[in-house]
Amino acid sequence: MLEVHGLRKSFGGRPALDGVSFKIAPGEIFGLLGHNGAGKSTTLGIILGMVYPDAGDVTVDGVSVRAHRGRALRKVGAIFESPAFYEYLSGWENLRLLMGYSGGFDPAAARATVEMVGLSDRIRSKVRTYSHGMRQRLALAQALLPEPEVMLLDEPTDGLDPEGIKWFRDFILTLRRERGMTVLFNSHLLAEVEQMCDRVAILREGKLVFEGAIGGLQDDAQMFEADFEPWQAAARVVAAHGGELSSDGKVRLPNGLDPAAVVDALVAAGIRIRALAPVRRSLEDLYMELRRDPAKH
Amino acid sequence: MLFLQQLRGELRKLYARPRTWMGYAAFVAMEALILWVYRREGSQRHMRDLIERNNLEFGDFYSSLTITFTIMLLSMFLLGSVFFALVAGDIVAKENEDGNLRLVFARPVSRLRLLLIKYGAVCIYTFSFVFFVGVTGYLMAVMAVGWKGGLFVLEPRMKVFAAYPEWLEGASRLALSAAGIGISMITLSSMAFMFSCLKIKPAAATILTLTILFVDMILQGFPFFKPYETWFITWRMSAWVFLMEPHLSWPKLIESYAFLIGLNLTFLTLGWAAFQSRDFKT
Repeated sequence: MLEVHGLRKSFGGRPALDGVSFKIAPGEIFGLLGHNGAGKSTTLGIILGMVYPDAGDVTVDGVSVRAHRGRALRKVGAIFESPAFYEYLSGWENLRLLMGYSGGFDPAAARATVEMVGLSDRIRSKVRTYSHGMRQRLALAQALLPEPEVMLLDEPTDGLDPEGIKWFRDFILTLRRERGMTVLFNSHLLAEVEQMCDRVAILREGKLVFEGAIGGLQDDAQMFEADFEPWQAAARVVAAHGGELSSDGKVRLPNGLDPAAVVDALVAAGIRIRALAPVRRSLEDLYMELRRDPAKH
Repeated sequence: MLFLQQLRGELRKLYARPRTWMGYAAFVAMEALILWVYRREGSQRHMRDLIERNNLEFGDFYSSLTITFTIMLLSMFLLGSVFFALVAGDIVAKENEDGNLRLVFARPVSRLRLLLIKYGAVCIYTFSFVFFVGVTGYLMAVMAVGWKGGLFVLEPRMKVFAAYPEWLEGASRLALSAAGIGISMITLSSMAFMFSCLKIKPAAATILTLTILFVDMILQGFPFFKPYETWFITWRMSAWVFLMEPHLSWPKLIESYAFLIGLNLTFLTLGWAAFQSRDFKT
């Protein structure tokens, strides 16, 4: 549905993207992970034709964005982090204005969409009076109105409260389930991507360092934070179970191994366990692993 | 049809911004001030000298039409240019700065179409503003001195002198000149619009435009530039005064307005080239 072919882009001689390619199948939710400056927003900018690539192209349903931007974007909706609406206009006027650029405004469709995103009560108020969550709902409405088949989400949950994040996540999952929508989800939050995406790509300094199923990122090991005494004896017990105890207090156990078995062995060896808590790997951890051993993924 | 719908949306957006109305408020205040000064004995004496020196009756030409002409002559270039440069300088650059353009670029609209919509809105704003100043100036002058009387025109710099004793003829010439001023001021708006398309702050677009306008105006006033005066933008922009001449000199008018329309198209093309080739980084 969405194909990115060999994108290269430099800003002032500094490479921002270096040969990035990936494909998103119809109905798939695809996560694009990476730290700030990794090239996620540049990729999104190129998909939308806001940024011209030095090389490469993007096709949406087989239509090239470079050659036929208007036709390619006809079935695309996009949501940005902190969407900048016209503050001095109402939410309704913003929708009318933006839909004017998508071929026309249908008030009945707009009312239904506004109802769906739960903004009916405030749609006639000026956007400057909206909370961040309400702005994101309006952003969702403007993205949904052209009835897109592809939705581009650029860090849409940043700044939302936990309730807002959950609502947003459930909404996107419902859209995929009911409309078969294809979604590209840009984020620097691994946990967020894990809960939504079927597959992910990881960008690091403009290069694609990983592309695959979300399970592929997490299946190889279980991570814990631990505080043992004595440390060296504990390290031997962990190693005997195929794990690794590092000097920064991280325990890495092979996937499939019951952590309780290791705890029993530690207790049996007379080791005091002050703390043992599972940790989710951060994006940084993944980067470090990918740098240490790219072949693993 | 869709273009008109998009243009209407752009105008709605333009007129919903408080700063768009600043110019209107400033002009109404200034018109009130000019009228107040006009009513003073000293300024009336000066007007009387001016009119009677040309063998005309003061009572026939000390009128709402003459006052409106004076308001438009004196105020449009100096004060009007500030607001035209402000609004046109903002129209692209401010939206880029505020991030609004990102939402627009997520739509299947071409950059050229987007610019033409915005340029159309700027031209309509400029033209309607000039007529607003003319109409409000006239209405306030009517309240001060009544509606009757002819039109007295004296513009020494452009060497234009005319007197229209009949109200209808004077009013027609005044309306024609307002259209001329509108077209002239579109050149200024086009210049600000071009700068707005560059990768600069909105304030920089406004200041650059006003700088060029004022430098042009100052240089034009230098005596040793007199032989080259027709090459100055502000001289060409003043060509609307020729619409006040008793016998319209069409070659002179066509030459000046062709010059201005050529400039407008150049500014629009340069702005489009810059806008089209830019990356809009999110």
